[in-house]
Amino acid sequence: MIVCVAVVGHQNNPLYIQSFTEADDALKLHHIVHCSLDVVDERVNNPKKSGPTLNETFLGLLYPTENYKVYGYLTNTKVKFILVTTDLDVRDADVRNFFRRFHAAYVDAVSNPFHVPGKKITSRTFAERVSTIVKSFGSSSAG
Amino acid sequence: MGREVSESCVDSLLTEMVSSYCDRFYANKPDLAARRIEAIGFQVGLQLSERYTMERPRFSDHLEAIKFICKDFWSELFKKQIDNLKTNHRGTFVLQDNRFRWLARMSVDPSPENGDLSQDNPPAENKAAQATSMHLYFPCGIIRGALSNLGIPCAVTADISNLPACSFVVRIKA
Repeated sequence: MIVCVAVVGHQNNPLYIQSFTEADDALKLHHIVHCSLDVVDERVNNPKKSGPTLNETFLGLLYPTENYKVYGYLTNTKVKFILVTTDLDVRDADVRNFFRRFHAAYVDAVSNPFHVPGKKITSRTFAERVSTIVKSFGSSSAG
Repeated sequence: MGREVSESCVDSLLTEMVSSYCDRFYANKPDLAARRIEAIGFQVGLQLSERYTMERPRFSDHLEAIKFICKDFWSELFKKQIDNLKTNHRGTFVLQDNRFRWLARMSVDPSPENGDLSQDNPPAENKAAQATSMHLYFPCGIIRGALSNLGIPCAVTADISNLPACSFVVRIKA
């Protein structure tokens, strides 16, 4: 189950962050997302570690914690997508698929002429689309 | 996905936008009109580059990003690639399009007293060149917006040698 997704701008400014848990642990999740930004920087600045997947947008598993797995994605425009999940056996293909759909939703949201580049995404349509994608992530990995 | 846009509508919209800004909103301030038109192009470029770079790996250097602009980005916009790319390898790139679509329908206004006075010709030509260059602020803004979004701050100017050929000069800010 995905517990948190975030969009972070190129200056590490949060553009969109949403948690999907009942419990009141938003702060903890935001902290995890915040920590993962350093890992993203490290991956991007030391490309030899990533080897054949050089400059790919999908960054893979950033770091596992006891309860969560954190995945990252960096677009060409230096916008980071962070995914926090509680599933312990996640298939790479599922995550890739998630990020692809998430990226499409993001692009549609920022293409709105009323969206100010570099500001938070406040579109309700985007929020709805994200929660649909998040929900379908759970079902596709189960099935 | 795969929505289509009428080409002639875009052409008309562009012409109308330029004439609105130049003749109505900022009739006496061509500099300000140019800046406004460029700013619109900038936002369009920002958003288009976001969309067109979706399924590709990140660019490792400036040249790769410029090549993307010349090939894929230009193909998406104008259904053709940039015809010629020159660079001095120190941050200046010249992108030449031999038949720039947005200038293809442009013609110089044949003034009625074309024949009688030869010294009348230079100002008329000058005016036509100015009107044409107004139409180039929008594509300049698009290129600047796209490159800025890819993390390359730059300045873009356009240069018309003979219609409908046109070259864009990109200077990357160090």
